[in-house]
Amino acid sequence: MTLAHYLALSAALFLIGLFGALTRRNIIGILMGIELMFNAANINLAAFNRFLHPEGIVGSAVALFVIAVAAAEIVVGLALVLAIYRSQNTVYAEDISLLKG
Amino acid sequence: MIKHVHWIALLPLIASVVILLGSRDNTEKSRLPLLGVAVMGWCLLHSLLILAGVLSGRAEVPFYRTLPWFEFGGFEMTLGVLIDGTAAFMLVVVTLVSFLVQVYSLGYMHADPRFKRYFAYLSFFSASMLGLVISSNLMALFACWELVGVSSYLLIGFWFEGDAPAYAGKKAFITTKLGDLGFFVGLLLLFAYAQTFDLKMLPLHFQMGPGHMPAWVPTAVGVLLLCGAAGKSAQVPLFVWLPDAMEGPTPVSALIHAATMVAAGVYLVARTYFIYQAAPMALEAVAWVGLITAALAATMAVAAYDIKRVLAFSTVSQLGFMMLGLGVGGYTSGLFHLTTHGCFKALLFLCAGSVIHAVHTNDMRQMGGLSKKMPETFITMLIGAFAIAGFPFLSGWFSKEAILHDVYRFSPAMWCAALATAALTAFYMFRLVFLTFLGISRDHPRWEHAGESPPVMTVPLWILAALSIFAGLALEHNGIFAGAVCFGPAAAAEGAEAVAHAPNWLAWGAVGAFALGLAAAWRLYGTGDLSLASSLKRSLAGVFDILEDRYGFDRFFLALVRASDSLAAALYWFDSNIIDAIFVDGWALATRALAEVQRFFDDFFVDGAVDGVGALTRDGGLGLSRLMAGKVQEYLLFVALAVSLFATFIMTR
Amino acid sequence: MPILSLTTFLPLLGGILILFIPKERKDAIRWVGVGSTVAAFLASVYALTLFDPGLASPAPLTLQMVEKLSWIPSFGIHYFMGVDGLSLPIVLLTTLLSMAAAIYSMNIEERVKEYYFWFLLLEVGMTGVFCALDMFLFYVFWEITLVPMYFLIGIWGGPKKEYAAIKFFLFTLFGSVFMLLGMLALYFASNPHTFDMVELARSHAVFGREFQIIVFLAFYLGFAVKVPAFPFHTWLPLAHVEAPTGVSVLLAGVLLKMGVYGLLRVCYVILPAGFEWFLPFLVIIAFINIVYGALCAMAQTDMKKMVAYSSINHMGYALLGMAAISPTGFNGAAMQMITHGLITGALFILVGVIYDRAHTRDISAFGGLGAKVPVYAGIMSLTCFASLGLPGLAGFVSEFLCFLGAFPAWKLYTALSVSGILITAAFFLRMLQKVFMGPLNEKWAGLGDMNARELVSVLPLTVLTIFLGLWPRLILDIMNPTLTAMTKLFPSLFQSVR
Repeated sequence: MTLAHYLALSAALFLIGLFGALTRRNIIGILMGIELMFNAANINLAAFNRFLHPEGIVGSAVALFVIAVAAAEIVVGLALVLAIYRSQNTVYAEDISLLKG
Repeated sequence: MIKHVHWIALLPLIASVVILLGSRDNTEKSRLPLLGVAVMGWCLLHSLLILAGVLSGRAEVPFYRTLPWFEFGGFEMTLGVLIDGTAAFMLVVVTLVSFLVQVYSLGYMHADPRFKRYFAYLSFFSASMLGLVISSNLMALFACWELVGVSSYLLIGFWFEGDAPAYAGKKAFITTKLGDLGFFVGLLLLFAYAQTFDLKMLPLHFQMGPGHMPAWVPTAVGVLLLCGAAGKSAQVPLFVWLPDAMEGPTPVSALIHAATMVAAGVYLVARTYFIYQAAPMALEAVAWVGLITAALAATMAVAAYDIKRVLAFSTVSQLGFMMLGLGVGGYTSGLFHLTTHGCFKALLFLCAGSVIHAVHTNDMRQMGGLSKKMPETFITMLIGAFAIAGFPFLSGWFSKEAILHDVYRFSPAMWCAALATAALTAFYMFRLVFLTFLGISRDHPRWEHAGESPPVMTVPLWILAALSIFAGLALEHNGIFAGAVCFGPAAAAEGAEAVAHAPNWLAWGAVGAFALGLAAAWRLYGTGDLSLASSLKRSLAGVFDILEDRYGFDRFFLALVRASDSLAAALYWFDSNIIDAIFVDGWALATRALAEVQRFFDDFFVDGAVDGVGALTRDGGLGLSRLMAGKVQEYLLFVALAVSLFATFIMTR
Repeated sequence: MPILSLTTFLPLLGGILILFIPKERKDAIRWVGVGSTVAAFLASVYALTLFDPGLASPAPLTLQMVEKLSWIPSFGIHYFMGVDGLSLPIVLLTTLLSMAAAIYSMNIEERVKEYYFWFLLLEVGMTGVFCALDMFLFYVFWEITLVPMYFLIGIWGGPKKEYAAIKFFLFTLFGSVFMLLGMLALYFASNPHTFDMVELARSHAVFGREFQIIVFLAFYLGFAVKVPAFPFHTWLPLAHVEAPTGVSVLLAGVLLKMGVYGLLRVCYVILPAGFEWFLPFLVIIAFINIVYGALCAMAQTDMKKMVAYSSINHMGYALLGMAAISPTGFNGAAMQMITHGLITGALFILVGVIYDRAHTRDISAFGGLGAKVPVYAGIMSLTCFASLGLPGLAGFVSEFLCFLGAFPAWKLYTALSVSGILITAAFFLRMLQKVFMGPLNEKWAGLGDMNARELVSVLPLTVLTIFLGLWPRLILDIMNPTLTAMTKLFPSLFQSVR
């Protein structure tokens, strides 16, 4: 297993996440896509740490930090979804255009 | 006893607070006023013991004791007592009259709805007056001086539901305060040069001679203190408040405006006599003020019909005599007159109160023939009149004699004027007695209604009458008074020498003046036929107008008040219409005008440019905003595309 | 324990607490508001027990209970608090009057929450001004008082409240801008640059005379507006009249003292040469304040406005005492601040009492109330007598000391100023006569006497007024050593005055 394998895996995961985030109608789906993208980044971080600076732990630490932030972000995101559902009665992203300029 | 002398002032103060706050019941049913009377009785006893100690030589005088009050900078202000013979006599006079007046008031004020408060005020007055007498320090003396003024204000305006008492109280306070300004500046000047207010230290500063302080200082201080004394002791030109002060309850007039408070000015001059000895000019000013006051007030008394006003003018006149005595160097005689005057003037006022209590009017034109209805009051008042007019061997004769002696030594011309005044004194006093008690009654319903006052009121009259008869004799005997009250040994010796020098016929002068006054009063008023009096009044109408106008002094002060009111109004106008409206608001308006100009500039040029940029931005933004359709996923797509583009760009570079 | 910070910031704590109480629960808000002023008062009393008056030495500013923390190190700004015999009594006065005013203000019904929040913030600013020893901190506290005052007058005030609030705000800001300039001038002139008042006082010798005069004038503008010294006084009658009662109490009782305090603390100690140069003008201004203020008061028909103008007169006494540069005069000026705060504070409360009942303050609208409301009449008369300088009450001692100190130096102006006493007596007695004496005006037959809230707020002031009059040691012993030391600071200056 070389670094390239990990990078390929992470690129694939990222693209799947992006695709999901762009195409899903349901906001929860979009959030799940975003989570995938986070994890792709995490794999990158861990891999770079392992292969380029095996003696350090900075990459792993940042990965952990990202996981924590992602957890917080998903909490906020889900709360927003809930709030939107209550007020707009929908969870489909195309129905919501409050930010329209 | 003398070691506890401070309690004489403190006990009435405590009593006053207790009476005022002690119970909610304000009327006669409250027993608290008796506490005030009891305390005052105790104080009288205490003062008598002190006086006995001083006279017998058992107590060492001057008794001096202080305690520190407060400090500022390096100076220390003390509170303390300084008792010499003068103070001991003054204590007795004040406590005696206070006590008798309080007893008398139990009867006089019995139906008043604010009975209790009246006694609280009386005790408060006594406390501050006694504090004034004993205090060893001019600042503390000034403090008590002002407190005495306040209690006078409260008591004159005691029946404040009427406009006249309310006005009179204010007038008394403000007029005396005008004199106090002089006192105040005098104190400042004194402190600037002597650095102390202590009455035991101060004489040393004045005895040190011209090198110690500029020569004008004692004179200036003396004249300034005289201003204060003139205010309190109702001397010309500040006497205007005293006749109006008669709006207060009559016992108050007896206590405050006859026997004690008004004597405070005389007492002040006596207490600070060392200053006047260093400043002969100031002393002469005292004499002249006294003489002018005595003469003017005696003439005004002739024209008054209000029984209390006659007595008020008489008080002013007698106070003038005391000042005159002090001013011509007769320290002892002036204070002797103060002591005896305290007795007989209190007596006269209380008699007048008894009359007023019976007939419910002050106007002598509605009295007459009351001797049958109120014999005790009549007899005691007659005694008082004889005493004040100078009937031989009554108390007033001794003291007035002494003053006239001293005046003659100083200046025979002044002696003549003083003698004429003494004759006038006899005249107006007997005019009062005759108009009130003799002849026919001029208002019959009132006469019918009248009756003798209860014993609680007449007993004090008898006591005072006895004192008016015997006090002079007792005190003159063996020179008791002169021995205790004299200004230094030098003055005493000088006094003895003067008696030897005065011509023998001098004593007859006073008796002659008395006889003349009495005879004139009898001729005009004593026989019951007032036709001669009224025809005389008609022919001298111009003179009487001037007298009833009080020589225009009232008008002068009213004009002063009006002038200061107008000045106040003018200054306020200046404040709100010039300073505030023009300078302050004008400044604001000018700023706003400038702001308008700047706004114009702003709108046209600055804003124009800004608006141009703004419009450009807005139009551009409107175009771009089409892209923002509010679809989250579109935004994400844009982001992804942009990142890809950047990534491609970076990687291919 | 940082007792001064505690005294200063306890009200802030209360204010923050009030923000968490729902605005419907008015009573809870009131009690928290009053409670925090009481806590601040107790803290200041505790500070008094810690204070040792004897510590004053001739070195500039012997301070106690000092707290010094670095705040903005790059500009040498410190959080520097401390008191001496000059400031501690005023701190006590501030907390006491705030307490009285907070208690009185419990009758406020509209927007209670905001009222008490602003009120407590105001107290923080006022207390801070008197404790701060760093120029910058001083300025911050100084400006903190401004904003709450603006809202307190502008929202809860009388009919012309907006005009009064804006006038007050602009007037004071006008003054403090110059003060800021002066501060900066001092900062850049000192070497090393510092805002520390003690350091500045030590280095006063390096400032040239011209520099001192100019900087003095800048500071003077700031302080004179607050005092208020003629001709910068016109905001005062307006603001006092329009402000609600509790706020008038603080305006007259504490805010005016900031000016006098500043003149002594900043102008005299740091800029003695400027002060010396200005003395002849200061005396004339004091004289004008005394006589002009008293005469303007005499022309008033509105009780509150009369009391307001009498404040101008009374602050004139303080200026006069200050102009003496003698221990006597300084003691008088410092004590005058305290006594004026107590007496005028009480007077404003009392005027508020009658205004709450009658909805008018016109002197001639009343008459004969003495028998109707005896307690009120008694306390009002006592306070008026205190204000006109009756011996036995606090005002006398301070006025007397001011005059006594000023007389040797400025004979003519002092002698002329004495007439202010008479005018003061005249207008107060006229007011008493018209309101309480004479026949009862039937319109007020239903008027009630003072209630518990009013009594509780005014009685401490009355009792202290009597107590200080009888036993002035209580306060002079605290102030005297410090003020005596202050007058000895500059042996070579002020020769003409001494």
